[in-house]
Amino acid sequence: MAALSVLVYPCRRLLWGLLAGPIATSWARLPARGFREVVEIQEGKTTIVEGRLTGTPKESPNPPNPSGQCPICRWNLKHKYGYEDVLLLSQFIRPLGGMLPRRITGLCLGEHRKIEECVKMAHRAGLFPNHRPRLPEGFVPKSKPQLNRYLTRWSPRSVKPIYNKGHRWNKVRMAVGSPLLKDNVSYSGRPLVLY
Amino acid sequence: MESLASLNLIRLENQLQKLQNQFRKLIPLHKPIYHQLSDCGDHVVIMNTRHIAFSGNKWEQKVYSSHTGYPGGFKQVTAAQLHQKDPVAIVKLAIYGMLPKNLHRRTLMQRLHLFPDEDIPEDIRKNLVEELPQPRKVPKRLDEYTQEEIEAFPRLWSPPEDYRL
Repeated sequence: MAALSVLVYPCRRLLWGLLAGPIATSWARLPARGFREVVEIQEGKTTIVEGRLTGTPKESPNPPNPSGQCPICRWNLKHKYGYEDVLLLSQFIRPLGGMLPRRITGLCLGEHRKIEECVKMAHRAGLFPNHRPRLPEGFVPKSKPQLNRYLTRWSPRSVKPIYNKGHRWNKVRMAVGSPLLKDNVSYSGRPLVLY
Repeated sequence: MESLASLNLIRLENQLQKLQNQFRKLIPLHKPIYHQLSDCGDHVVIMNTRHIAFSGNKWEQKVYSSHTGYPGGFKQVTAAQLHQKDPVAIVKLAIYGMLPKNLHRRTLMQRLHLFPDEDIPEDIRKNLVEELPQPRKVPKRLDEYTQEEIEAFPRLWSPPEDYRL
């Protein structure tokens, strides 16, 4: 009976543990073993237990601008995405919600920062319900009041209330959205409001 | 002169700032019989005010102040605390501030009916005439997209073979 299960081999951590002593300073990237799924095949009296590499998704063929350096330039999406384009942002995040490094995804610095900011805003808006961080076992979080938000620039825990809003010439504004996205194309004709 | 009043419904899910166009029905500028002295505004019913959304960090930053009149009675409450105490107050204060600042404001506020959840009294629910369009388009979460939509979206980059997430 074939049983499929996905196991994560902690090879990298084991190797680090073994080689931490003599090769502490060499930062050469050790060959990492990818995700495998364990497949058990029974043929008569012998059972073969195999770990097969799960396929990595490939870039879709025929990007509109093949001469671009980063994925966003290649697909002509430079000033056209925001925090609500979850299908785009989900390609650059890890399963637990963190961003992938720039050397892996191949994004240019500016676009990487914009996507990082949009991913943060999407997390705060609750658009990634399945990418929440893992909690320790048996931990029941306290029930907090559910507040809906969108275009949050700062983390909710880090922000203090504005008790003195200031006079007409010196107002303390409440920030909305992010200045990194100020070059975005606006099809509704209304200018982008950042404060 | 008889007053022609009708009840209009707004369902609120995740929007605050853009209510401006919706409660215009209170001031009946859309009616050809409008006169400043003729009392012919419409009633507006807003439900689900508990699920309102603020843009930016206004839940923590926006402060609602009031004074009881007594010395030492200056109270300042953040939007989150106010919403906890009274889920209707934020929408009420927002609309109060958006109406013209004249003596009509109080009568117009009396014609506005706010409910925190979906349950509305029967006599109001029976008389609802029109549902007004929502001020803001609520974005879809990742698990609300169908599998076809996810597959139709192109994959932008290919990770290296042996990269481990």
